[in-house]
Amino acid sequence: MNLTWLTLALNEGRRRPLRTLITVSGIAVAVAALASLLAFQRGYQSGLGSELDRLGAHVLVVPKGCPFDAASIALHGASWPCYLRASYLDEVRAIPGVATAAPALMAAFPKADGMQTVLVGVTSELLALKPGWRIRGSFPGDSNEILPGSEAARVRGWNVGDTVRIDELTGPRRVSGVIESTGGSDDTFVFLPLTAAQRDLRHEASLTHILVRLRDPARLDEAVSLLRGCNAGMDMNIVPLTHLFRTIQGMVGSTSLWLTCVALVALLAAAAGVGNAVLMAVAERTREIGVLRALGASPGDVFRLIWIETLLQGLAGGVLGLLLAGMASRGVESWLRNRLPFAPDDALVRLEPAVAMLCLVGALLLGSIAGFLPAWRAARLTPREALRAPSGT
Amino acid sequence: MNSPTCAATESVAVLATGLGKSYRRGIEVVHALREVSFEIRSGEFVAIVGASGSGKTTLLNLLGCMDTPSTGNLQLGGLDVSRLSEAGRTQLRRDRLGFVFQHFGLVPTLTVAENVALPTFFARRPDPDRVRSLLERMGLAGRRNHRPHELSGGEMQRVAIARALVNRPLMLLADEPTGNLDSHTGESILNLFRELHAEGLTLVVVTHNPALATAAQRLLTLREGCIVNERSGDPPGTGQVGPL
Repeated sequence: MNLTWLTLALNEGRRRPLRTLITVSGIAVAVAALASLLAFQRGYQSGLGSELDRLGAHVLVVPKGCPFDAASIALHGASWPCYLRASYLDEVRAIPGVATAAPALMAAFPKADGMQTVLVGVTSELLALKPGWRIRGSFPGDSNEILPGSEAARVRGWNVGDTVRIDELTGPRRVSGVIESTGGSDDTFVFLPLTAAQRDLRHEASLTHILVRLRDPARLDEAVSLLRGCNAGMDMNIVPLTHLFRTIQGMVGSTSLWLTCVALVALLAAAAGVGNAVLMAVAERTREIGVLRALGASPGDVFRLIWIETLLQGLAGGVLGLLLAGMASRGVESWLRNRLPFAPDDALVRLEPAVAMLCLVGALLLGSIAGFLPAWRAARLTPREALRAPSGT
Repeated sequence: MNSPTCAATESVAVLATGLGKSYRRGIEVVHALREVSFEIRSGEFVAIVGASGSGKTTLLNLLGCMDTPSTGNLQLGGLDVSRLSEAGRTQLRRDRLGFVFQHFGLVPTLTVAENVALPTFFARRPDPDRVRSLLERMGLAGRRNHRPHELSGGEMQRVAIARALVNRPLMLLADEPTGNLDSHTGESILNLFRELHAEGLTLVVVTHNPALATAAQRLLTLREGCIVNERSGDPPGTGQVGPL
């Protein structure tokens, strides 16, 4: 037996366990919603940044059409509805400020098992855009060689040096190397020399996109305007990726900001619920508070007791809410992935310690605000007033 | 803050002079206590009786520093408490007075031992040995980890008495301590009070119980806020019971 403020406050939770549970659950749901939204904002922002880094390009040159679709296809792999002429590549390369222009021809072939084979014809210029690539073996030097990503090689059981067949390509291919895991879509792609891809996919002198890296990314706007002004500019869509990602982020951000406001309102409603529950509890315990005052509890002691109780409810709701957010993150991730206009490969919902701490502090702050009025009212009761109150328990 | 320090006049526990208390109920002024004057000596056992609404509880609240008088002067152990600050009154209640309530006033979520220890907790002077010895004396050692709802009425009142005694008060104030008990259990509480009185503790009990009133050394009868009768009995501290 060792009485402390904490044990006294914890014991109070037992008096009306159902009411305590409902109050704590209200906070937990609000905290879980807020934590999920903040975790999504962090995850999405960071995912887009990583995607941009992995792509290694500042500008994406694609056929005319929707830039969002083009970016999504280039990043995640799919079949393209139209093509660029290979001759445009020279015009792109001639633009001042362009450090590297890496051409690509991409095609995706769905399989019966739901998987797909994404073939990407590239040149060795791509390596300048992918400084993060670690290749076991070597980049294809021969038209009969291929370079699969780590996941593509794993699911097919390919190893460096193996001779393999791909349905969409004519003749056997030698695995010249395997790209070690990048964490992005490159892991699922199969790269091969551009000429071989153009020949086998029957799109000679065609490209699906050109990845452009600039000497000075700060002069992006200038380079974009020169690219749009070149002879082939009318037939190409010049997509500045930083701007594009910023636009995507802005679109998603405004929605998530609105949802964050909803979560904050839910949190305020939960705080009002806590305040109301504690006010009711104080009303029921008025006579008991009188007894405590008679036994020598000061107004400050009564305030502290009630305040700690609400703080504990806030803390419990915060911890429970974070657990809920953690458990629901997978479901939320998959739900969001199916609804977003562009979803990076990385985890969309990242419940980082900073987000968890922020939500916990928010829940505590709310508990403390919600508890202030009931605690203050309880502390103001004189022993005589309190003892005259009808028994509520 | 006026600190409640005990001055001289140790033999006088309570000195009330022209003590009155009025309340405002809407536009009506209710005179709950009308300028009563009396003295209670240290170690005395006093019972306050009277009909409902006669001012008994108001008087007990004033003696217990749970309320401030509207008129007159009140000294407890030589200290003028009439104009003591809230903090001073809290300290006095905590360190020098013990309270026993008709409805026991136990905290239902705490164990017997925790309930008894509450005043020491608020005084920031934990004393587990004192709690243990009081529980043993009250015959509640085996019930120390039980919660109030697991106890009988008599046991609950004994817990309340142990709690009132834990900070070694100079005076015990009890409001209808046998009011919620059957006659047999009430008798055991009465015997406990007799023991405490014999040990020299000042006892002031508001009661309707004739046995308890008879056991007291002195009887103050209130009617409409005035003391209408005062009966004296035996001198204080005549019993032969060991110290608390």
